[in-house]
Amino acid sequence: MNNYNPITALILFFVITGFLFVLFRPVKGWFWIVKKNFKSNEKIIIEDILKQLYHFENSGNRVDMKTLVQVLDFNNSRIVEAIKKMTINDLIYFESDILKLTEKGREYALKIVRVHRLWERYLADKTGFSKTEWHDRAELMEHQLSYDETERLSAHLGHPKFDPHGDPIPTKTGKMANVNGVELPLLPVNTVGRITHIEDEPEVIYKQILAENIHIGSLIRVTENNPTRIVFLSEGEEFKLAPIVAANLTVAPIEKEVVLEDNIARLSNLKEHENAKIIGISKESRGESRRRLLDLGFVKGADISIDLKNPLGEPNAYLIKGTSIALRKDQAAKILIKKE
Amino acid sequence: METKIKSACETCAYFNAEGLKKLGINTENFDFVVALAGNPNTGKSTVFNALTGLRQHTGNWPGKTVTRAEGGFEYNTQKYKLVDLPGTYSLLSTSEDEEAARDFILFGKPNVTVIVADANRLERNLNLVLQILEITDKAVLCLNLMDEAKRNNITIDERSLARDLGIPVVPTSARYNKGIPELIQTISEIANGTIVCKPHRIKNVPENIEKAVKTLTAKIEKEFPSIPNSRWIAFRLLEGDAHIINALKSGEFV
Amino acid sequence: MNKKNIDNIIELSNDLRWQIGDDFHDNLTESIYADAANIVKGTVRTKDSEKHFRLDSKIDKIVTSKAFGFPIMFLILGTVLWLTIVGANYPSSMLANLLLDTIHPALKSGAESINMPWWLDGFLIDGVYLAIAWVVAVMLPPMAIFFPMFTLLEDFGYLPRVAFNLDSLFKKSGAHGKQALTMSMGFGCNAAGVVATRIIDSPRERLIAIITNNFSLCNGRWPTQILIATIFIGAVVTDSFSSLASLLAVIAIAVLGMAFMFTVSWALSKTVLKGEVSTFNLELPPYRPPRFWKTIYTSLIDRTLIVLWRAVVFAAPAGAVIWLISNIHIGNESMAAWAIHSLDGFGFLLGLNGVILLAYVVAIPANEIVIPTILMLTVLVTGIAGGSGAGVMFELDSMHATGDLLRAGGWTLLTAINLMLFSLLHNPCSTTIYTIYKETKSLKWTIFASVMPVILGFVVTFLVAQFWRLFF
Ligand SMILES: Nc1nc2c(ncn2[C@@H]2O[C@H](COP(=O)(O)OP(=O)(O)OP(=O)(O)O)[C@@H](O)[C@H]2O)c(=O)[nH]1
Ligand SMILES: [Mg+2]
Repeated sequence: MNNYNPITALILFFVITGFLFVLFRPVKGWFWIVKKNFKSNEKIIIEDILKQLYHFENSGNRVDMKTLVQVLDFNNSRIVEAIKKMTINDLIYFESDILKLTEKGREYALKIVRVHRLWERYLADKTGFSKTEWHDRAELMEHQLSYDETERLSAHLGHPKFDPHGDPIPTKTGKMANVNGVELPLLPVNTVGRITHIEDEPEVIYKQILAENIHIGSLIRVTENNPTRIVFLSEGEEFKLAPIVAANLTVAPIEKEVVLEDNIARLSNLKEHENAKIIGISKESRGESRRRLLDLGFVKGADISIDLKNPLGEPNAYLIKGTSIALRKDQAAKILIKKE
Repeated sequence: METKIKSACETCAYFNAEGLKKLGINTENFDFVVALAGNPNTGKSTVFNALTGLRQHTGNWPGKTVTRAEGGFEYNTQKYKLVDLPGTYSLLSTSEDEEAARDFILFGKPNVTVIVADANRLERNLNLVLQILEITDKAVLCLNLMDEAKRNNITIDERSLARDLGIPVVPTSARYNKGIPELIQTISEIANGTIVCKPHRIKNVPENIEKAVKTLTAKIEKEFPSIPNSRWIAFRLLEGDAHIINALKSGEFV
Repeated sequence: MNKKNIDNIIELSNDLRWQIGDDFHDNLTESIYADAANIVKGTVRTKDSEKHFRLDSKIDKIVTSKAFGFPIMFLILGTVLWLTIVGANYPSSMLANLLLDTIHPALKSGAESINMPWWLDGFLIDGVYLAIAWVVAVMLPPMAIFFPMFTLLEDFGYLPRVAFNLDSLFKKSGAHGKQALTMSMGFGCNAAGVVATRIIDSPRERLIAIITNNFSLCNGRWPTQILIATIFIGAVVTDSFSSLASLLAVIAIAVLGMAFMFTVSWALSKTVLKGEVSTFNLELPPYRPPRFWKTIYTSLIDRTLIVLWRAVVFAAPAGAVIWLISNIHIGNESMAAWAIHSLDGFGFLLGLNGVILLAYVVAIPANEIVIPTILMLTVLVTGIAGGSGAGVMFELDSMHATGDLLRAGGWTLLTAINLMLFSLLHNPCSTTIYTIYKETKSLKWTIFASVMPVILGFVVTFLVAQFWRLFF
């Protein structure tokens, strides 16, 4: 303590905290980067190659080494090495210079796809990560789960058949359900249908769809369809999409005469002294929070009005079935009502 | 704190005031287990205190009780263990805060379940009541907060309510000890089998679901012939409730 | 029971689930509510129910209005604290007189007359008894005032409105409005606050509420804040303002606690707790007139019992430990003196001293005994006569005497301020730590919740000390 001086002490302190910050700050901290690089080993490269081949084959495309190297985000020599190993292990074979999956390779690829989609389902139902993060997180997780863990995950989720984008999840024996529906631009005006699939690649378009607040399971009605734009109604709002964006939406037309109410609004748009009836809860509200809303009485046909406005704007309290219940704005936006 | 219970029933033939002893936390050698279930903030803990003489915390906000509390009372020389549960809106969710109540009603196998409901908000409360009636057929509806209902000009036809639900209905104002003797008498009659309930079962279920439930119920009953709540288990299995699936596997229902 | 049949049943349920589609839960809930509506139609009659609801909504309109909502809230909080601080003084000093100045000497002379060995007498009467007596004298009165008042508010139905008003702030920091309720429970006792977080049905927000509950000054810490503020902060201004200044200082610490709570909640929700599900709903119950006397009676009785129990279970062993470490010698120094000297350097860096740090180690079981431990240890190291021998916990009767003793022990205004800060920002007491473990069932979060506040405390006191020394 002889040479103590508050300034030295402070400087020392800030140097140490600065260093710790650089090392451990979220995502970009050196520690995390090193840890991540350390993990991208051969297994991951092999599995990514299998998955890419699987997707290419499914969409009827042929892949040679050059395209493969382009789509994968790894060092070239490591890819070549992995390919060598995979041919030896009978996962892939070459037909002249086209890469093909063997039966064993396809099985392996399906397993990866299964984990990926199950994990997305898990993220959607049981966690609060935003949609834009699902894909990337699933990309990491697909290399990590063992067979048993995958089975347990599937059971925990109630053996789902579709991932949150509407893609079918392969069963453990490799079977897959079919996606119903056609691409949105193919639907004539006035068709009523349900969105069954939202393609999450390319990312730019996917993000645009998310930004529009369009989601799987909602009913839509096409009101305009021409080469420049496609307009449709869903959950009380009108959406205008360019055909290229709309092509990423798959919609299953509904045969039965479903009356799609025209004056649907969201609960968040209800004003004081207005009365309304609940039409339903948007599919966007999932898992536990959806159940809780239902349990609280936010069911089809219930009368609802604003009981109390919040001094800070949110949450507002709604009078429902004789009780005053406060909901935040983002929740209220997921409850569909018809004003009276 | 022995408050003298004053009520019309004190003089009537069947309630035996001398037969009641509040046992506080003493729950040894009980003959029956009684569960107190209901929506949050309906006065469960107040009923609990009135019956056991304990001072379980009460408070005017939903979620005051978060852990289950036990106490005892003796009536006509039979000992009852009373369990105060946290309030729940429903038994259909898997959320953690409702776990304690859900598990006790289903696996605790209470001899009698007292469902405490708020008379002012009966419709909302019936959501839980109807669910509990799928699980157990030994239940009584304690229609609490009658004093408030009266002030709000709400009248309830208890007889037809009891008929619709298939269980006895006892109106109370637990805070003022009104209706508690009748409640005790009813509990003892259900426990001893003097009253037999024929509880309401959920109707209005869409056809495709009802069909699935029937198929599943039949299977379950074949495997567990003595199970009283096969339909409820079927509901939970269709929901994919991992908890129930495990319980089924480990045989906790038998 | 046949395992294969059961597997078949489960398999069948999986198939059926996919046949009936994912609207099962919606449909089921809707049918139950439809049943309920049918039953209610035939049995419930309502005659102009408007009248009563009107009074309720009138109150609501005021307490949640833009103009009055927040002022009313602060007014109520201020009044409750003020009544607690001012009202507790009198019974507190009476109890101290009785337990410490009258009964303690009586016990001592009693022990002497039956020739009790000095170590047993010291251990039991100076250690265990005094610890209990101190806790009772210091803790009981504020609790006996704070809790009944709080319970009255609770019974009236005001608390959910506080949560309603504040939720938007909590949302901004990634937390749940009901955390306002659990934080106010924490003003009484953090362990109780942690258990109360069960009302938060969203896992992420619940964890945040558990971890940050310690930022609510608990009952064991209020007396420390009040005492130190009165001695040191009150002395800075003229006499006529001194009680106001100390009240403001205490409120400032409480508000700082809230600020830390919001900041830490925000940081947690943005980093480690990212991705946990979050849901929100809050039911606003009707107002109910509380039953005044019954509430006061029951909460008084209950709190007394709980406080006494805690005193016996936690403070007694701590008192014994204090007595022991001051009377067991290593070489020619007592263990306590040895520990104090080794902690002094670090303490100085934080603007505190070795005595305070050791006191906080000893007081892990119960925050209530921090001040008497500090006084006792100060006497030990300064060698000033004032107490009643090595390792004897005591409270000096007059504030002045206490202040003089501490100043003789090297205390300055900086020490006082940093002690108040450190009392806000340090590990939760052992009961709370155990409760956190029980509620989270996770060692990781328990350790985090215990260590994070101390580190914050170190950093904050360190920074305050350095800047203080730079500028003053
Ligand atoms: N006026 C009136 N108030 C009552 C009656 N019964 C209970 N209360 C009040 O209602 C409030 C809630 O009572 P509790 O017993 O805590 O309710 P609970 O059902 O245990 O609530 P949770 O534990 O939150 O589920 C308290 O303020 C009681 O004083 C009654 O019969 N009449
Ligand atoms: Mg309760």
